[in-house]
Order: sequence, then structure tokens, then C-alpha cells
Amino acid sequence: MEADELLVLVAGGDQKAFEELYGLVSGPVFGLVRRVVRDPAQSEEVAQEVLLELWRSAGRFDPGRGSALSWILTLAHRRAVDRVRSARAAVDREQREARRAHHPAFDQVTEEVEAGLEREWVRRCLDRLTTLQRQSVTLAYYDGYTYREVAERLSLPLGTVKTRMRDGLTQLRKCLGGVA
Amino acid sequence: MSLLARLFRRGDLHSLAAPYALDALEPAERVRFERHLKNCERCGAEVRALSEDAVRLAWSTAAPPPAAMRDRVLAAVRATPQQAGPVAREHTPQLPPHVWGTQPPPGRSRAPRERRPFFVPFATATAAAALVVASLFAVQANRTQDKLDAERAQAREIAHVLAAPDARATTRRDPRGRSIGAVASASQGQAVVTLSGYGALPSGRVHQLWLMRPDAQPRSLGLFGGGDTPLVATDLGKSATSLAVTIEPDGGSPQPTSQPIVQLALKSVGFGE
Repeated sequence: MEADELLVLVAGGDQKAFEELYGLVSGPVFGLVRRVVRDPAQSEEVAQEVLLELWRSAGRFDPGRGSALSWILTLAHRRAVDRVRSARAAVDREQREARRAHHPAFDQVTEEVEAGLEREWVRRCLDRLTTLQRQSVTLAYYDGYTYREVAERLSLPLGTVKTRMRDGLTQLRKCLGGVA
Repeated sequence: MSLLARLFRRGDLHSLAAPYALDALEPAERVRFERHLKNCERCGAEVRALSEDAVRLAWSTAAPPPAAMRDRVLAAVRATPQQAGPVAREHTPQLPPHVWGTQPPPGRSRAPRERRPFFVPFATATAAAALVVASLFAVQANRTQDKLDAERAQAREIAHVLAAPDARATTRRDPRGRSIGAVASASQGQAVVTLSGYGALPSGRVHQLWLMRPDAQPRSLGLFGGGDTPLVATDLGKSATSLAVTIEPDGGSPQPTSQPIVQLALKSVGFGE
């Protein structure tokens, strides 16, 4: 069964459907959360919270507004970003700089993930973006920085970052259009 | 605000669609943009499209989660009530978890069966785990940022205890339906403790939680905050035999000044070696 159908069953309290949904989405959810949060223990906590939240609020999923997988990953990303920002707020600036130096925005993507067609495609499409588009998008999405922080890190005006983000996403859409 | 300024402001808001889709707005901006979204059909469609694009970035990151996570999530699912659908959202009063501690909620006719021995850690997870797990998500219903931060911090502590490989739940209910529940990890020496059904105390009185050990005075583990708010107890030590709750004057007492109103043995959750 597809995630969409399963989520509807889950909304009705079907625990078997949830088990099946877990099989489908736990990998994407955990991988995304770990990519953003990085710390393994914290990633596990956040992923666990997200998966429980799926069970709890499956009824809020509106199939008319997009796919279940998008909804789920959007939720996971939001929670991961919230976690990484509150953790970051607690770390002093110097440590932060040191960590940034260790974690370049994009290079790490491929190291942490399983080999797969999707990964190759995303990577290839990211490579086709301009450097600024790629950095704007990946610093925000994979590293959880706000667009203001991205602007600061890249020494760009806010307006430019917003435009690069939009163009970057639109280019990705064109490039990845064939893969679904 | 002049028309021009308003148009400018609008244009400015529109340009936040991409950062919003990437979760790259600060909380206040996020709220402002979401308010704007409600009245802007064009932005709605645009944000949906950009969000779908952003999700494509997630495809490349999938990784297998730790095997033990599955058991913990599925166990917690069995103990967690679901929220009502989109219309009701935050305003629907949630079914108090203890109500279905002994009785499954509607729509869950399929009785969960213990098919695998490694579900044992949560085998007793009824009311206790339900209360505890529910508090993880109570977070979203709250309004003020301070409260939100405090509750998030607590939810994190709770999640930490729940995530322990040896986390187990236990609960005790008296004939009047009042209950005490705990999810505890002996390896971490931590427990999340909830009281339910004891009602509000007269002003100037609090519920205080104590750790009982052999050959030692009771040690205070903290004060309950009221309602079903759980208390996270730390440094329990392997020798702990039980938890006890007394009613004490505001601010708590160094030692109990009254008989416990309830006690909960910790042997079944791995303590008392």
C-alpha cells in the first residue's frame, strides 16, 4: 500500500497500518532528521517524536494538498530544524564556527546516506545549480539555518538569498521532474 | 499604512515563500507569513509547489533507523491517543489518556497482542505511558514562547527517558480511579512520573514526590506542577524501592511531614537490586 492510503487508515486508529507506514517512512524520516540534527541520540529522539506525531495527528493530513510523503517529510524537517536551532542557540559562537568549519554545507550529504538512485539524482541536480543557489538552498534545508543566517554566512543581501532560494528550488524541480 | 507601503509589504511577504518552504524563517516571521497565507490563494499554490520541491531534497538522505526505535515507537503508539481531525484541531478537548488505560479508544477495535518478546519493556504501558507520551505533544497547544520553551525542554527530557533501551512503564490505580504512573529507566536512573485524578490541592499545599530506599531517609524528587504535568525524576540509583507522594506546604519539605497518599513500587521497572 502507498503512504497516502496508509495514512488515512492510521487516522482511523489502525495500528497495523501504522506498522506498515513505519516500514515505509521511518528511513526517510530518520535520515532527514539525522542529516539536519547530526547528533545521533538527538536525531533518534526527534525522529521518534515525529513518528509518534504521525500517529497522533494523522487526521490532519489533507490528501487534496499534496502527497503523504511530502506531508510527513515536511513535518520531520520542521521538527529537526526546531531542534537544531534551539541546540545551536545554546552553543556559543566560537564553538559554532568550529562546527561549521567541520561541516561544509554540501560535501557531507553523500557520506551519510545510503547509495541510491534518488541520492544520485539529487546530487546531480544540485550540482547543476549555481554555487549561490546551491549554497542558499542546502544551508537552509540540510543545515537548518534561517535565510538571515544564510545571508550573513554568504555575505549576501537578504533579497538575493530569497531569490537564490526560489530559483534554486525551481531549478531542482525542473531537473528532478522526471523522478518521482 | 499607505497603499504603496501595503503593497510593498505584501511583495515582501510574497518573497518569503521560498524561505518558508525551506523552513528558513524565524518563528515570528513564520507566524506572520502563515497568517498571510490564509488570505492569499496565489501564495498557497506557490508555497505548496515550493514545498514539494524542498521535499525532493529529503529523498537523498534516507537512512535506516536503529532497530530498537521501531519497538519503542510502536509501543508508544499503542499507549497514545490520537487527535481529532483538521476541523477540530487545537480546540478539541483530548480524551484523558487514563480514561482508556483499561479500555481502548474508539476506532481501535483490534486489540494489540504481544507477539514479540521484545515488546516486554512496554508490556505494562497503559495509563502511565499514555500520560507520559501525551505530554510530549502537549507542547503544541500552548501559546506563550516561554511556556513553549519550558515545555519543549521537558518534552526533550521525557523523550530521553523514553528512548532509553530499558525504559519500562508501571502504574498503580486506587479504587477511586486515581493513579500514579511512571516510565523509568534503571540504567539512566531516571523516571517520568505522573499523577492523575488527585485534583487540585487547596492553596498553600503541593504534591511532593519522594524516593524511598532501604536503610535511608526519603529523598525529595521534586514537586508536581499541578494538573497532569509530569515530573522528571533523576539520580534514582539502582537501590530505589519505591516512589511516594505526600501533601506538603508550599515549596515542599526537606522530609515528609505526612503519610504518603500513594506509593509506587519500582521493582517491576528494573530497580531494587
